[in-house]
Amino acid sequence: MMNSFADRFSTTGPIAELRKAQANVEDDQFSDAAWGSEAGFGSLAKGVPAFTVPNVPDPSAFLRLHTDDHADPNCRIKIQHGTTTLAFRFQGGVIVAVDSRATAGSYVASGTVKKVIEINPYLLGTMAGGAADCQFWETYLGMHCRLHELRQRERISVSAASKYLSNLVYSYKGMGLSMGTMICGWDKTGPAVFYVDSDGTRLKGDLFSVGSGSTFAYGVLDQGYRWDLTDEEAQELGRRSIYAAGHRDAFSGNTCNLYHVKEDGWRFIGNYDISQMHYEGPTGTGTGYGYDLRVEGRTSANPPPAAAAA
Amino acid sequence: MPDMVSLSRAASGQPSQFKTPYSENGGTILAVAGSRFCVVAGDTRRTDGYSQTRYAPKVFRLTDKAVLAVNGFSADGNMFVNKVRQQLEWYRHGHARDMPLHEIARLMQTMLYARRFFPYYVSNILSGIEEDGSGAVYTFDSVGSYERDTCRVAGAAQSFMQPYLDNQDDWYTRPSVHYKNQRSTHSSSRPTQLPLSSVLSLVMDSFVNASERHVEVGDGLEIYVVLAKGSSLQGLEKLTGAQEVTATSDGERVFTVRRSLRRD
Amino acid sequence: METSFAITGKGYIIVAADTTAARSIVKMKTDEDKIKTLSPHLLMAYSGEPGDTIQFAEYIERNIRLYQIRNNYPLRPPAAASWIRRSLAESLRSRKPYAVNLLLGGYDTTTYTPHLYWVDYLGTMTEVPFGAHGYGSYFALSLLDRYHDPEASLEEGIVTLKRCIDEVAKRLVVTPGKYKVKVVDKDGIREIEL
Repeated sequence: MMNSFADRFSTTGPIAELRKAQANVEDDQFSDAAWGSEAGFGSLAKGVPAFTVPNVPDPSAFLRLHTDDHADPNCRIKIQHGTTTLAFRFQGGVIVAVDSRATAGSYVASGTVKKVIEINPYLLGTMAGGAADCQFWETYLGMHCRLHELRQRERISVSAASKYLSNLVYSYKGMGLSMGTMICGWDKTGPAVFYVDSDGTRLKGDLFSVGSGSTFAYGVLDQGYRWDLTDEEAQELGRRSIYAAGHRDAFSGNTCNLYHVKEDGWRFIGNYDISQMHYEGPTGTGTGYGYDLRVEGRTSANPPPAAAAA
Repeated sequence: MPDMVSLSRAASGQPSQFKTPYSENGGTILAVAGSRFCVVAGDTRRTDGYSQTRYAPKVFRLTDKAVLAVNGFSADGNMFVNKVRQQLEWYRHGHARDMPLHEIARLMQTMLYARRFFPYYVSNILSGIEEDGSGAVYTFDSVGSYERDTCRVAGAAQSFMQPYLDNQDDWYTRPSVHYKNQRSTHSSSRPTQLPLSSVLSLVMDSFVNASERHVEVGDGLEIYVVLAKGSSLQGLEKLTGAQEVTATSDGERVFTVRRSLRRD
Repeated sequence: METSFAITGKGYIIVAADTTAARSIVKMKTDEDKIKTLSPHLLMAYSGEPGDTIQFAEYIERNIRLYQIRNNYPLRPPAAASWIRRSLAESLRSRKPYAVNLLLGGYDTTTYTPHLYWVDYLGTMTEVPFGAHGYGSYFALSLLDRYHDPEASLEEGIVTLKRCIDEVAKRLVVTPGKYKVKVVDKDGIREIEL
């Protein structure tokens, strides 16, 4: 009895050491494992995720100094930039198409990035800006969508899901998060697309494109877009628009991932090599999308018949 | 604003006296997934400005089916490996088994992202054997975005070695014969049946080449090989310097191979 | 924002440029012609630093004219383009370079071929089937990759040009209001209304 009483208040000795160690461990774990695995016990018990910040007067200035916020190519921590993503609503649902290139400066860091995040069987999110920001928060969003289902006994609406994400990233405004995403899905209201970014912007719309190649995608997308597109036409338009961006924007390319959302959830349509689409078309059998292939043998010269004969 | 945990001297509110808490210690790491094995390698040179440490390992065995390679700021890297190991040990106590590879990958994402606003300055490559027995490689950026890969190089000589490995014959199943060099990262590609012996010699050659042309690569090469449950040794037993470091019996097997590289 | 387009078709080139002259946040003029007629079969759309644009364009205009007066024949489009590019390149290496981007569209009456040259202020020149300068190019180039046809009739060419203009009007934040559009073909140069 006496012993344990002494132990409780002593600051030296093995039990005190253990107590200190446990305190440290718990502290550390809280910040380091965030909301994820608690030694494997995936848990939300500790509530909102916690982040370690540097002990400096202005933590976000510190982060800016060490990450490639566009301007400084020499800085140490590279965050993925350069992307083309698009999503549009039409009569037959929602088409989501993205490229798969990740660049660090002019180096192609990866050509196989999955920029469509499958939040759940009815919701898709796209990825532009910081890859980790998108992957992490959209996964987190997926957990909360599931909790919503369990609590409310119905699926979360696309609107509510996107609002959840928007509010979440808005609470970190100014800290340096970078994401431009489209939350796409099908709910009671039908097909829906919401644009959400790290500034806190959230827009409902029919057609969006995000990323460095978005202007090129828009060029093709806008001109080919109609509400009453057939499923095949819509898929082709999504693919063709990503090809256009991959072709014209140096920071987009490699392959196109295409998804189609319908009433019964999303479906992965396919992965298309952009280089192959240029030379051989998406199926690898037809004529390519490439301008020079498409106009091969055609000329703007118009010699009069006499001159042509000579 | 959601919870923020300020590091160490938070209470005192004193700013750090250092201009930057980061350094870049050079070196290169690499991982290759085979169909039933994986190979993870890293050189052992650590540079601090112009001075060097000749043996500073960058590749670590986590479990019998997972190996983690870290590159960048070595203090952060070692710290991070320790923290991952600690989590895995707790998992072992709670579940009486080793954490599966894909779960380690997700765990690492959450651990890296928890430092989103004060990142570990480290590129991580996690490699090992998946529950279905296939070899796998997971690549991470410093704040936790990750993807599964078949062959990945990170670090100083990344831009020398990655294209060299991408363009090895028979590496990927290519959709058509021509343009084959333009399709090196085709995403539908899966690892071929490239045998362990070929992968090992490729890896060794890559590092020899990198050490010839990059000042931050050299001294020693440390290779980990993980074999899926029940695979044969595939010539490992004849390889000089190969050493088994498996902890448990009747599961995956882990081996190390060491080679020396240029020391100048 | 300044935007110009040019596209070739069967036996012709259409050159279009917006008509706004802006200073700071103010539109100073909304009917400025930024396409010069250099010779009977040569058009030049110019954009860039205000002041430089007009000075350079007039310098080019007069020297091309001088050549024609001295020799009794005009320079053919490839030769004119080479000379203009050289002028820009020399200017770039002077104390005060001209910051001017050009689209040169000409019809070569000797080979019955339309030629279009894209030239930037650094003296980069490429012959192209279609070209664009300014922010509009980010929207129009992918569109033209998709819709441009070198054998298009003038009517079809105008439809394609309209697509470009409509797309820029739809997506660009500060949209150019009106465009001046000129065509050069075997019969010479004429302005058209969209």
